[in-house]
Amino acid sequence: MTTPGQMRNMRACMICSYVQTFQKFKVNGCPNCEPLLSHLGHEVVEDTTSPMFEGLIALREPTKSWVARWQRVDGFEKGIYAVKVSGNLPEEILRELESSNFFYQPRDGSDVMDD
Amino acid sequence: MSSDPIHDNFDSEEDDGDFDADANTSRDKPQEDGEPATNALDGEVDEEEEEEDEEDEEEEEEEDEDVPARKRRRKLNHFFDDEAEVDDDDEEVDEEEEEGFIADEELPELNDHHEYREEHRHRELDRQNEQRQAEDMEAIAEELSRRHGRSRRGRGADSGLVPRRLLLPSVQDPNIWGVKCKVGKEKEIIFNIWQRMEKNENTKHPLPIVSVFEREAMPGYIYVEAYKQSDVMEALEGVQMVYPRGTKILVPIKEMPDLLNVVKSAEIVPGTWVRFKRGKYQGDLAQVENVLSNGLEVRIRAVPRLDYGNNLDRARENGPPLAPGEKRKRNNFKSNTAVGRPPQRLFSEIEATKNHSKLLSKGTASNGGSKNFTYAGEEYEDGYLVKDVRLNLIITENVNPTLEEVTKFATTVDEGAESLDLNALAQSLKTSSSTYQVGDTVEVYDGEQQGIVGKAVSVHNGVVTMDVIEGDLKGKRVDVPFKGLRKRFREGDQVKVTGGKYRDESGTVVRIVEDKVTIVIGEGEDMNEVTVFSKDLREATEGGFATSSKYDLHDLVQLDQLTVGCVIKVDKASVRVLDQNGDARTVIPSQIVDKVTRRNAVATDRNGSEIRIGDTVKEIAGNTRSGVVLHIYRAFVFLHNREMNDNAGVFVCRASNLATIVAKGGRVQQSTGPDLSKMNPAMLRNGASGGNMMPPPARVGGRDKTIGQTVTVRMGEYKGLLGIIKDATDSTARVELHTKSKTITIDKMKLGFRDSITGAIKTYQEFVRPGGGRGDGGSSFSRTPGGATPSWSGGSRTPQIDYSGSRTPAWMAGGGNRTPAWMANAEGGRTPAYVSGGKTPAWGADGGRSVYSGNRTPAWNPSSRTPYIADSERSAWDAGSKTPARPSGLESWGQDSGNSSTTARTPGAYNAASPEFMAPPYGKEFSAPTPGGAMSAPTPSAPTPGPISAPTPAAWGADTAPTPGAIGGGYGRGGAYPNTPGAWGADDDQ
Repeated sequence: MTTPGQMRNMRACMICSYVQTFQKFKVNGCPNCEPLLSHLGHEVVEDTTSPMFEGLIALREPTKSWVARWQRVDGFEKGIYAVKVSGNLPEEILRELESSNFFYQPRDGSDVMDD
Repeated sequence: MSSDPIHDNFDSEEDDGDFDADANTSRDKPQEDGEPATNALDGEVDEEEEEEDEEDEEEEEEEDEDVPARKRRRKLNHFFDDEAEVDDDDEEVDEEEEEGFIADEELPELNDHHEYREEHRHRELDRQNEQRQAEDMEAIAEELSRRHGRSRRGRGADSGLVPRRLLLPSVQDPNIWGVKCKVGKEKEIIFNIWQRMEKNENTKHPLPIVSVFEREAMPGYIYVEAYKQSDVMEALEGVQMVYPRGTKILVPIKEMPDLLNVVKSAEIVPGTWVRFKRGKYQGDLAQVENVLSNGLEVRIRAVPRLDYGNNLDRARENGPPLAPGEKRKRNNFKSNTAVGRPPQRLFSEIEATKNHSKLLSKGTASNGGSKNFTYAGEEYEDGYLVKDVRLNLIITENVNPTLEEVTKFATTVDEGAESLDLNALAQSLKTSSSTYQVGDTVEVYDGEQQGIVGKAVSVHNGVVTMDVIEGDLKGKRVDVPFKGLRKRFREGDQVKVTGGKYRDESGTVVRIVEDKVTIVIGEGEDMNEVTVFSKDLREATEGGFATSSKYDLHDLVQLDQLTVGCVIKVDKASVRVLDQNGDARTVIPSQIVDKVTRRNAVATDRNGSEIRIGDTVKEIAGNTRSGVVLHIYRAFVFLHNREMNDNAGVFVCRASNLATIVAKGGRVQQSTGPDLSKMNPAMLRNGASGGNMMPPPARVGGRDKTIGQTVTVRMGEYKGLLGIIKDATDSTARVELHTKSKTITIDKMKLGFRDSITGAIKTYQEFVRPGGGRGDGGSSFSRTPGGATPSWSGGSRTPQIDYSGSRTPAWMAGGGNRTPAWMANAEGGRTPAYVSGGKTPAWGADGGRSVYSGNRTPAWNPSSRTPYIADSERSAWDAGSKTPARPSGLESWGQDSGNSSTTARTPGAYNAASPEFMAPPYGKEFSAPTPGGAMSAPTPSAPTPGPISAPTPAAWGADTAPTPGAIGGGYGRGGAYPNTPGAWGADDDQ
C-alpha cells in the first residue's frame, strides 16, 4: 500500500487524523469524514488535510485499543492515524461540522490543557 | 482499503452490546447502517418498524443530549427491546388469533358467517390504513436514518466528549510494549506493519496486535499495543528493522498517556523569528509577517541576498537568449545553495535597475506604493524580501536570534527600538542556553518544590543544583530543572543585564512582576526604566559597572586626526564623547581611532603655571567654572566638575583661559620665591605674561639636572653636610646625606652645587643657568634674588605695575605702528629679545655703568630683570599695540634723572592718553574686564604716584638703584628702542 517514497505525499486529516496519500484523499476522501464533507466535493480535502503531522499509529482494532480511545479515534476506521496534526481548518469547514452536530476535536495538541 | 468489513465489525460490536438477546437484530441493522430497509415488509414488520423508529428517535434524542451515551442507550434499548418483544408477542398472539380466526372461520360459518365477513372487512380496512401509515412511517424512518445514521457515524469516536481523564488506561486495556527498531525507520516500519495487518485481516490468522505506533520524540522505538507479549513477537516476526527479540519494555499503565502526549507546537504569530531550513537563505533569520489561514504557510520577511546579475554567469543567462542548457541548469542549482551566496543586503532599486530593469517592476499602489518592488519573481518591501513559505521549510524552534541579526530588521523602522518587540524576542529566546550561574539566587516557581529559594551550586544540563536557603527544605540540596526556575532579586538590588536588548546595562531593581523585572538604568537625565526577564539579570558585583566597551568613562579618545574627545557616557554599543570643541556627540566604538593615554601632559595656564592632570583649575572668563583636570590635549584641557550635570560634568577649556587653584598633591608651582602672579592682581588681570614666564630655572623637561649631583647644604638644620641629590622637584631636592644615612628634602636654594671639575660651589641658579657659569660675577648675582627680587615683589612692585599699566596707554599713543612688528614675532621668542634688547643698550649707553659692563649677565639673571620684563611683557602680551607706546613712557623716564619723579610723572602722561587709545585694541583681544581694570588704574592719577613714589625709590635706592636708572636711561635714549631686535642685537654686542 505504501512505500517509503510515498511518505512525502502523505497527509493527515485534520478532523480525524487519518493518514494516507494525498492522491487517495483526493480520490476517495477521508474514510471517516467523507460522509460529512462529501457534498463539498473532493477538492475540500486540500483544506482539511495537512502535510504536517507527527507520530504514526497503525490501528487494527479501533474498538479495543486504548491508544485509539486516548486519541479519540475509537469508532473510526482501521488504518493509520497521526498522533498530532498541525494546521487549522478553514472557517467554513468548522461551520459545516458544527451544523451537522459533529464534535470537532483539534488534533494539534491544543485541547490537552482542557483536561 | 475496503470499509465494509470494518463496518461489519463496528456494527457487530454495537449489536453485541445492545441487542444480544434481540431476535430482531438483523432487522435493526440496516437502520443502524443507514440503509433503509424498504423491501418486503409485511404489516407485522411495519408495526415493528414503527416501534423501532420511535425507538430510534428516542435513541437519537438521548444521544443528542450529550450524555455518555453508551450505557444509557444500552439500558434504554433493553427496555425497548423488551417492549418490542412484548409487542412481538402481542402480534404473535394476533397472528395466532388470526390463525385462530381462520380456524374459527369455519365455526362462524357454522354459526354466523355474515358477522365474520363484516369483521373481516373491517380488518381489511384497518390493515390498509395501517399499511398506508406504515409507508409514511417508512419514509420518515428512511429520512431519519439517513440523517442520524450518518451523523452518528460522523461523530465517530464514542470518546469524543469524554474528558481525557476518564480515558486513562486501565488494567483491562491492552498493554503497550516498546520494541527497539532501527533509528529513523520508525515510520517505514509502521507502514510495513500496517500492510501486514491489512493483508492478514480477513485470514484465519490476523495479526494478533491491537495497534502499533511511533513517536518522533522517541526514536529507535516502536510501541505495540497487544494483550500478550507473545502476540507482539508473533506480529513482529519477520518485520524488517525491528528487533523484537531484544528487550521489550512493558510500558507501565501510568506512563502510557505520556507516550501519546501531544504538545501544541509554539504558535507562530506575526513577529516570531524563524530561520530558513535550506536553500540560498539557509540559516538566515526571518520574521513572520503573517500566518496564512490554514496555519501551514507563513509570510515572512528576510534580508535578501541578491547579486542583481552581477555574477557573470547569471548575467549571461539573462542576457543573450539562452546559454547551453546544462550550463543554465548548473547555475540554477548553484543559485539556490548557501554556498557562495551573495551577502545579506537590503534590496536596492538602483542595483536592480542596472542589469535587470525588465525583471523589476514597481509595486502597485495597493500594497504600499513606491517602496515595494517585484524583482525576478520575488516581492520586496522596504528593502526586505517578502515571501510565502511553507512551514516545513522553516525552523520555528530554537531560533535564538542574535542581536546583530535582529537589528538588521529593526534599523529601518523609524521608531527603532519600538520595532524590537521584547516579547517576541523573548519567545524565541525562551529555550536559549543556560543563563544560570553558580552563585545565583534562584527561586522555584513551578512544580513540586514550588516556593523554595536557594543558591545555585552547580549548573549542569539544564538542571540547577542548589542549596536551599528558604522554604521547607532549608539546608538541603536539591536539583531543579531550569523550567521551573527563575532568578530571584529584591527591589533595590544592583543588577546587570546579561542578555537581550539591554545587555550590559546595569541598574537598580525597582519592580518585580513574576519573572519580569523592571530596573532603572542610566544616571542623571538619562535615567530610564526598562523591563527585562529575570533570567537575563545578574546581581552586579560591588560597584562592578564593568562594561564590555573598550572605553571607560572619562577616557580621552582620538576621534580623527584633529579631534579628540572625552568619554562622558559609555553605553553598550555606543560611546558619548565631548570633543575638544565642546560638542557632545555619540559615536560607536568603531569610530574611535584609539584611546589617548598621556598621563603626564602638561599645559600652562594663563598665569604660566603648569597645569597637570588632577589639578583643580578655574576658568577665568566665561562661566568661571572650576574643575579637576582630566586630560590635557595640546591647548585644550578637559575638566570634570562633579557638581555639573551637563555632559556628566565634563567640559573643555583652553588652557590659556584657566588659572590654577590647587595643584595636585600640593605641587609647588613656582620654583623660586612666592608665587608672584598669584599675589599680584595686576598680573592676574593683565594676563598670560605671568611673572613666571621668564625666570627661574624653567625646566624644559627631561631629567632634572640636579639629580645625581653632589651638593652641600648651605643653610638650615643640615648646613654643611654633604650629600647626593637622589630626586628633585622644581624647587626641592631629596638629598641623601653622606654623613648620616638619611635622605632629607630640602629647598634647592639651600644647596651648594659642587662643580665636578673645578670643585667650586655654585648656587642652584648658577648651576642650572648656563649664564650662571661665569665665575666671578656669581657672588654678586647671588645676591640678586635675595635682595632685589623681594623688594620688587614685596608690594613695592604693585604700584609699579599699576604704573606700568598706566603707562600702557601712553605707549599706545606713542605709535601704534610698531605693534604689528611685535605681534608678528613668535611669542616666546619675543620676550627675551625684547628685554635683552631693551636692557642691553641701556648698559651700553650708560657710561657710568661701565662697572657693570662686563656683566651682561644681569640680562641673564632672571630675578633682576623681573620687574622690567614683567612690565614690558605684560604690555606686549596684553595688547601688542601697547608696546610701541613704551618709547613714550621711556622717554619720560629718560628725561628723568630720579626714579621717584619718574613714577610720579608717568601716570600723568598716561592718563591723558589712555581712554582714547586703549579702548579699541583691548576690545579686540580681551574681554571687557581686563582692560577695564587696567584702565581704571591709571585714571586716578593722584593716588597712584603716592604709594609708588614712596616705596619704589626706597627699594631701588637700597639695592639696585642704578639698575633702573640705567635702564631708564637706556630706554630713554632709546632712539634705538623702536628699532627692532636687530638694533638691540647690535647693542648687545657692545
